[in-house]
Amino acid sequence: MTRVLLVEDDAWLAEVEASIISDAGYEVLIAPHAPAAIDLVDSFHPEVIVLDVLLAGSTAFALLNELQSYSDTGMVPVILCTNIADQFDAKKLKEYGVMKVVDKTTMHPSDIIAAIRSVL
Amino acid sequence: MNRGEGSFEVTPLVAAAHELKAPLALMRQLALRLGDETISDGERQRLLQQTVLTSERALRLTSDLTKAARLDSALFQLEPINPDQLCRDVVSELQPLFQAYGRSVAVKGRRHPLLLVANRDLLRRILLGFSDNALHYSQPGTAVHLQIQAFKQSGVVRVGVRDFGPALSSDMWRTLQKKLDSAPQTIHARPESSGLGLFIASQFADAMNGRIGAVRHKDGATFYVELQASNQLSFL
Repeated sequence: MTRVLLVEDDAWLAEVEASIISDAGYEVLIAPHAPAAIDLVDSFHPEVIVLDVLLAGSTAFALLNELQSYSDTGMVPVILCTNIADQFDAKKLKEYGVMKVVDKTTMHPSDIIAAIRSVL
Repeated sequence: MNRGEGSFEVTPLVAAAHELKAPLALMRQLALRLGDETISDGERQRLLQQTVLTSERALRLTSDLTKAARLDSALFQLEPINPDQLCRDVVSELQPLFQAYGRSVAVKGRRHPLLLVANRDLLRRILLGFSDNALHYSQPGTAVHLQIQAFKQSGVVRVGVRDFGPALSSDMWRTLQKKLDSAPQTIHARPESSGLGLFIASQFADAMNGRIGAVRHKDGATFYVELQASNQLSFL
């Protein structure tokens, strides 16, 4: 089963998104902030990371920099799932392993699954 | 990554729009999930409760914004207030929200504190805002504490909201200190929020001749408001 790490600090949104991902047949774990995500990257070995940007504590960019510091974690595709999708340049984000950007304000449940399938 | 590119000056209006995005996006996702016919009745009830509580949080922000916009023209009655009783009222109001998030909220501190001089509604709004913030930063299973401290020599009473969560880094702490006494920040310059809540709390505190501040702990933070102690009868 493909392992998906969901990094989302809103517990209720994380539950909804995790249910959608789980219902689609993926194994999913939730990290509420960047330090927890780093721990889970080491222990869970996710094949995809779905990442919110404005996290409590460090932002997603601290985590992206950490991931890019190691050759193995730098290869894990990242999907940004954010309320500020309109503020990012998708081309520049690719340097940080971000393969897709999903706009939380307009997404439908199927969009997150489509994004995961597209990066695998 | 150069995240300065595309950043822009944030007016309170833009900050408000940004702050409302998160609860609106959450309510939309909860509503979409409710439309899933395969979920159980129990799950449906839980999603409905989450939708109601999220809308109430968003409405609190809109109410605070309109209140803040009228501060200059409004006359606020300042009166001696028992902070312990007010904190207990705030805790009662927030209990359902905290329970739904798997956290608790309680009053800690003196049972017979000095009275302070404040406007009851403005102080209540400050504490609700700090508590909302603490809910977001606290770890599941932890408690958020409303604390009252009296500084008799300076004649000040401090009412704080203590959360137990990840420690703030020094960089974030410096950013936070700027937010405590300034207008909402450029969105890209902030770690998590625009600082609108702190800006509003600061304005409410000013209107009561008080000030807000924050203390960093190893395991979280305390946001507080300091107000003048009342010279009238205290409960000591």
